Amino acid sequence: MNFLKSLRVQETTRARLLSVSVLTIVALAISFLLPPVADSQMAGGAAITIVILGLSWLIGWSGQISLGNSGFMAVGAYAAGIWAHHHATTPLIFTFLLATVAGALSGLIIAIPSTRLRGPYLAGMTLAFSAAITPLAQNFTSVTGGEGGLFLNSLSTPSWFVHFFSGPNATIDANAQWTADLAVLVAGISFFLMANLFHSRTGRAMRLVRDNDVAAELVGINLGRTRTLAFVVAASFAGLGGALYTVINATVTPQTFPLTLSITLLTLMVLGGIGTLSGAVIGGIIYAFSANLVDHINALTGVNPTSNLGANMQGIIFGALLILTMIFAPRGIAGMGAAVQRLRKTRRSALASSSAVD
Amino acid sequence: MIKGRLTRTVTLLAASALTLGFAATGVGLSSAGAATATPGVTANSITIGATVPLSGIAVSYAEVSASANAVFNYINKHGGVNGRRIKYIRLDDCYNLAAFGLGCTAGPSTTTLSQTQVLVAQDHVFATVGSLGTAAQDSVLSYMKTNGVPQLFVNSGSSDWSQPSTYPNLFGFQASYQVEGKVFAQYIKTHDKGKSVGFIGQNDDFGAGGYAGLVNGGINIASDNHLSYNAADAVTGSISDIATDVSTLQSNGAKVVVLDSIPAFTSAILATAHQDGYSPQWIISSVGSDPISVNSPYEANAITFDSLPATNDKSNPWTPWLRSIILADKTDFPKFTAKSPMDGNMQYGAAFAVAFAETLKAEGKTVTRAGFVKTLESTKLATLTITPLQYSKSNHQGVLGGVIANISPNGSAAPIYFNEPSHVVYTTGNSKNTPIKTLPYVVSPIPAWLK
Repeated sequence: MNFLKSLRVQETTRARLLSVSVLTIVALAISFLLPPVADSQMAGGAAITIVILGLSWLIGWSGQISLGNSGFMAVGAYAAGIWAHHHATTPLIFTFLLATVAGALSGLIIAIPSTRLRGPYLAGMTLAFSAAITPLAQNFTSVTGGEGGLFLNSLSTPSWFVHFFSGPNATIDANAQWTADLAVLVAGISFFLMANLFHSRTGRAMRLVRDNDVAAELVGINLGRTRTLAFVVAASFAGLGGALYTVINATVTPQTFPLTLSITLLTLMVLGGIGTLSGAVIGGIIYAFSANLVDHINALTGVNPTSNLGANMQGIIFGALLILTMIFAPRGIAGMGAAVQRLRKTRRSALASSSAVD
Repeated sequence: MIKGRLTRTVTLLAASALTLGFAATGVGLSSAGAATATPGVTANSITIGATVPLSGIAVSYAEVSASANAVFNYINKHGGVNGRRIKYIRLDDCYNLAAFGLGCTAGPSTTTLSQTQVLVAQDHVFATVGSLGTAAQDSVLSYMKTNGVPQLFVNSGSSDWSQPSTYPNLFGFQASYQVEGKVFAQYIKTHDKGKSVGFIGQNDDFGAGGYAGLVNGGINIASDNHLSYNAADAVTGSISDIATDVSTLQSNGAKVVVLDSIPAFTSAILATAHQDGYSPQWIISSVGSDPISVNSPYEANAITFDSLPATNDKSNPWTPWLRSIILADKTDFPKFTAKSPMDGNMQYGAAFAVAFAETLKAEGKTVTRAGFVKTLESTKLATLTITPLQYSKSNHQGVLGGVIANISPNGSAAPIYFNEPSHVVYTTGNSKNTPIKTLPYVVSPIPAWLK
């Protein structure tokens, strides 16, 4: 019996691994079809996807609101940036691990007081954290480079990869492609880890704490520890996302992590679908290509992009989308797909039952 | 069963997408004919670009690239350079502060890097020419290097631009902030001997470089008089850092205050100080002193540094030349009239545009990136600068000196002009031990082909 159970777990993990691999390969293939500028946008979207995965886990799965994820992202970004600035030859994987740990630690520090707070107090506490990060980065100039930030070496594209490209812009195309593919790969791995976590014992405990903390305590779940763990995991993902963002852009500056980034992350997560894995990917895609969408809408409507209206179009569109999503699809775009599926299923079963009556 | 079908479908999708992807790359392979061509260069055109603030907190600098564009258009109308028309693409990067709004109209997700990626990977520019901002251009150093695209005449006095062994294709344009700071130091030691000196600088390499120059020049600034502001903090509207900085210097009794600030902040600092009844001797970096950009009545009698001719110097042939170019085609300056004052931004843009065109002309009919860099390192350029512009294998900074100027009100009303009382050009190196020397004030003649 026990043997069977463990087998089933293994099977689902393997199935998850397979589907995540396939998705990653599809994303890699798409990157080959996209022009280099879109590849660079895709790389940024991949980094943001990782951050949203963590945020979705924290808010959707453990029920704790955080406006601090741009701060956790900045911690990871600076950890990676400061390390790589001084140790340019360290393998990338080490830089990523370091940033993940740094993110986790910052999550732990914030979680200890935060898990005693709920609702708006928690939001306020985490907001204060992300508000404090930018001035910290600006003022410890000798470590962080101040407002100018730190700059690193760009990723070096292996020569075998450059051989796939030709023409006068071969290197440029290859570099953009390589960066995007690396980012997609890191996002794919993160997605796999989070998918497993979602479906793990911890994941289930997390949901129980969210839905009914009294029941959770009754079955022996340590509330404080579980909530803290949620923060630590979310912050480590944010840290990794920040590090990836730093590596692909070869620079880290305080301007990258304004307070508004936390709000943007939250918006993207809601649009994609709170507490869903695919929602994080959708959020990442929206982040990557929103500027193109805005340009397109400005062109369609004939709005001058440098006018007051045109310049604020992004805010207008996302504000409207957010409201519409909250009203009509509270589980976001990812939830919409599931809702449609459920609807079809009910209809099919309704049809089946009516034919049975006939 | 359903799960199996799904997996199969997705796998099939992935496989076909991959095939398509490689097929697309294959298309690239088959069009390999132009492998030796230089990006951005055709038989009758050369495409270059720049990321510049066309909106936002540093919008006053928009004139710089507009002036460069006016010069390129003038050259194009007269047959271009060696038969090639210069196409200059300017993209707004909002001083790399778009995320903070601050009047930026380029969209909140715009960064200097994202706009540079458009120039390099989409527009395939030959080089960026005259991109602006210390922190902004620092953020694309690696990207430009990795992709082998020359980064020419960066509009900033950071010494980051002169690292030929690390960044062989990177060139600055103006004198370094360290040099400027050292020259200011000498001025203070002569004219304001023994007075307490305060400093407010931008919290990036601009402020750091200027401060280092003052210290290397022998000026002692007490640590509580060494203050800074963050350009991004203007988001609050009140620019709170500045109010604190100004009142700190006032209560510390600083009699001389050096500013390494961009025009919007210079203006805010001067206004705040006036409000507080504080009037020290202002010494302002050339980057933030252009009277028309600062547009403040409180700037009169400030001291600044200038590597370009005085804007009201009628004896300098470049001034009427640039004026006539702008008046002949007002695309870039629709509001400019025969009575409008010329400003330092216009001179600056024209100066690097002429330098670019001259180098291109000197390189000859065959244009490559390596060839351009080599030509630039070995050609004495005749342009608006008051010291010869001569890059070399070891000097990628650009202009190496300038005059001390003061800003005088033109009668009672604005505009106010630079006044260069003595035509003495000071030069020095970045380090503490290089002495300050004087150079002759040079007015380069306008090359015949540009007339």
